[in-house]
Amino acid sequence: MVTMREEQTAIRKEKKRSAIIKEALRLFATKGFYSTTIPDIARSIGMSVGNLYNYFGSKELLAQEIIRHISAYLGARIREINESDLSVQEKIRQIVGIYFRTAKMEPEMIDFFLRVYLSNREVFHEGCEGMICVNEFVTEIMIFFDDGVAKGELKNQDFFSAFGLFMGYLGGMVFLNGERILPKALDDYVEEISENIYNALKAS
Amino acid sequence: MAEIRLELIEKIEGEAQVRYHYEEGQVTFAEILFLNSRHIERILRGRDPLDALSINPRVCGICGHAHLIATVRALEGCFEGLRISDKARNIRELTLSLELLQNHFKWFYLTILPLLELEAPLERALEPARVAGEMIALLAGQYPHTSYALPGGICGEITPVDLLEFRHRLRRLQTLFRRYIVDVELEAFVHCERIEEMLGKSGDLPKAMRRILDRGWERLGQSHDRFIVFGEGLFHPGKSVGTRLREHLDLRYVREEIVPGTQARKVAYRDRPYETGPLARAMVMKTPLVKEAHRRYRDSLFTRILARICEIPRLIGYLDRLLKEIDLAQEAWIDPGSFPSEAEGTGIVEAARGSLIHRVSIREGRIREYEIITPTQWNLGNGTPEDPGVAQQALIGLRREDPTELVFKSFDVCSVCTTH
Amino acid sequence: MRLLWLSALACNGNAHTLLNYPDFERWQEGFEWLYHPLLPSTHTLLEVEEGIDGVEVLIVEGTLEEGMIKNSIPLQYLLERYASQAKWILTVGTCATFGGIFARGGEDRNGVHFSGGERLEEFAEFWEKSISLPGCPVQPEILAGTLSLLKEASPLPLDRMHRPKYFYAYTVHDGCTRNEYFEYKIDEHRFGRLEGCMFYEHGCQGTFTHGSCNKILWNGVNSKTRAGQPCMGCTEPTFPREGLWRTPKHMGIPARMPLGVPRRAYLSLAGIAKAFNIERFHRPLLEDEDG
Repeated sequence: MVTMREEQTAIRKEKKRSAIIKEALRLFATKGFYSTTIPDIARSIGMSVGNLYNYFGSKELLAQEIIRHISAYLGARIREINESDLSVQEKIRQIVGIYFRTAKMEPEMIDFFLRVYLSNREVFHEGCEGMICVNEFVTEIMIFFDDGVAKGELKNQDFFSAFGLFMGYLGGMVFLNGERILPKALDDYVEEISENIYNALKAS
Repeated sequence: MAEIRLELIEKIEGEAQVRYHYEEGQVTFAEILFLNSRHIERILRGRDPLDALSINPRVCGICGHAHLIATVRALEGCFEGLRISDKARNIRELTLSLELLQNHFKWFYLTILPLLELEAPLERALEPARVAGEMIALLAGQYPHTSYALPGGICGEITPVDLLEFRHRLRRLQTLFRRYIVDVELEAFVHCERIEEMLGKSGDLPKAMRRILDRGWERLGQSHDRFIVFGEGLFHPGKSVGTRLREHLDLRYVREEIVPGTQARKVAYRDRPYETGPLARAMVMKTPLVKEAHRRYRDSLFTRILARICEIPRLIGYLDRLLKEIDLAQEAWIDPGSFPSEAEGTGIVEAARGSLIHRVSIREGRIREYEIITPTQWNLGNGTPEDPGVAQQALIGLRREDPTELVFKSFDVCSVCTTH
Repeated sequence: MRLLWLSALACNGNAHTLLNYPDFERWQEGFEWLYHPLLPSTHTLLEVEEGIDGVEVLIVEGTLEEGMIKNSIPLQYLLERYASQAKWILTVGTCATFGGIFARGGEDRNGVHFSGGERLEEFAEFWEKSISLPGCPVQPEILAGTLSLLKEASPLPLDRMHRPKYFYAYTVHDGCTRNEYFEYKIDEHRFGRLEGCMFYEHGCQGTFTHGSCNKILWNGVNSKTRAGQPCMGCTEPTFPREGLWRTPKHMGIPARMPLGVPRRAYLSLAGIAKAFNIERFHRPLLEDEDG
């Protein structure tokens, strides 16, 4: 049985963890992943280095935890979409919307995913083998596909072909956005991109 | 005086109605009617070809394994240049032969000996059948109703331990043969040529044969004296009219015909009826003891019953030889590639009751047509009074006091196969 | 205990499989066969058609076809008569229980109480005293065991389809020697091997099929899946589905999940398992040197 005191401590610790992650993401985005050190992060939020190590044993472990955090965040949003009554076409629009909105509101998160996770596999190969750290996210995409095929709306095909098309497309747009190449805001592309994805994946 | 008697023949893997026509106390004709069909051929239409491996054993609960092997051969016939290893071939022969064995034991003790009013302890039917079932299951997973053979070989893999257990039970079958059927060394019995010598031994076979002679039934049940065998393995293909042997057979001369009033289609070779089964196999192979019985009594129930039991030691010997030949190092399954979308194939097997023929045609990757011709269709197909079928001919001439049911069942009828 | 065995459109597989029960001769001393399609019986089928008394357990095998006539009497009439008389009714095999294979061969063919998964009105008055023993065929231990339990008046908990839980609460997956390949999501499988799991490619339904095939081994020695064949789901109302040797998939994800396992749970576990390459499961079983 948890006491009031223990519960308050847990909430405080959780807030601290989130703060570390948020600050780390900001520094990774501005200074770069390899240039940022644990002491940098600790100094930035006003915490002792020793205390920070209590939360995250190393920068690699912090990086892995960040990915899990992002995956859990997006996974939860997509799960809501999966469990709704919307049509497959509408769900695609919702998923694209979430992805782009996250890119807009939490640009460091997407930035981290593209520039750190995808590009520095050596940081993640022990502890984040395969896709285990993005498990929640990938699972929700699988459920979306599975559901679409079961309903006869999506074409039954190899999972990775469909996954690559969907995720590669979104990642590409976000990358271009990050490079400030897109003439319009990301939001303005939701309609067209959703339609392209739907047309590419739908059952004939 | 003309009279008609309708008899229900039971316990023939189902039932049949026989309508005997009597004149002056003798059978002039007998119509053999089978009642219900499950329409397996309809069930297969439109299905994925491999589904036939799962569906077809269910044609029959006692000879379903023969249907499996016929199916896989028919499916394999659809591929160009398909290869299976000798190991896979031998393993299939092992399980197929075991099914014949358990059929023969069950028929002899559950059907024939009771009709001869001889003691038939249930375990003499069931223990050999159970042991044979275990041996099949060691290689094929389960019995009855396994689907362990597929195009290219077999589903699983066999280790020396499986063969050890198999051999252990083979010894048991040999023991049971000597203990129950006839107390003679199997090899010696295979070479036995003289009826008197066999009759002088102890065992249920000599007892049964002596009983037939005592009752004066040894010439009953003679039929057309024409025999046909399509399959291979232990047996030789060919046809024998009396003892005149012809080895070449052409499947194109096999024709099925619907017969009104019964669910069983009749089948003929070049429009003549032929007997298939152990007696046919013995005539084509020229099994010494059966040749001798045939010389005396032609194709009577004596010769027919003797021929079936004579297969038992031969099958056991065959199992022994196959075991010695198996090279476990060979592949259990060789990938034949994907199923052709348009093809045809035929599968032939010697089942317990005779030649079994399966024909499949594939269109657009699915089964378009599937045809099954069973041994009981050959033997029990209905002809006309002018041109009676095999079993019909065997019944013609019998008098009221004669054992019509014994004559009928000497053919070891499988009602479910016949109507499939 | 007096037993009457009636066959409809059957292959007799269940009649024969019972004879494989170890020491069957001694077991059946406790029972009397009023009629059995193979064994010596007290009555002939003709007498059964004419009418007999004293049936305690009616055993039905085979698919029922509307209007079918056994010999001279409509089977429906025989079933009603003896179902009323009997204390218990056993539908043996999937055909008698759900319709099975032969139901696909014609119109108006089904099991005694079910057509596939749908309950029928026809013999509803006998539902309370009916026990379902599906399987193609049923395992002899299940039939013999159920009869023995009935004879001893032992409790026999049944599931919603009246299958005895002692036998049908397990899945065919329980006890398969290839379980590790399933557990760790090793999805390659080739026929002719000791290794590999048939769930991913070759249609194995063991994880969502009720039965005891890998617990009570067949013929006391083996099972289909141990011998490399996919389970065909033969105890279920849907048997036989189309494409028994292929696993239906949605974008590479198996369409059916193990019994009771939510898709999300399965996919999450699969995702994690797949991330790891466990060498032992990619090597031939008999060549394994280290653990």
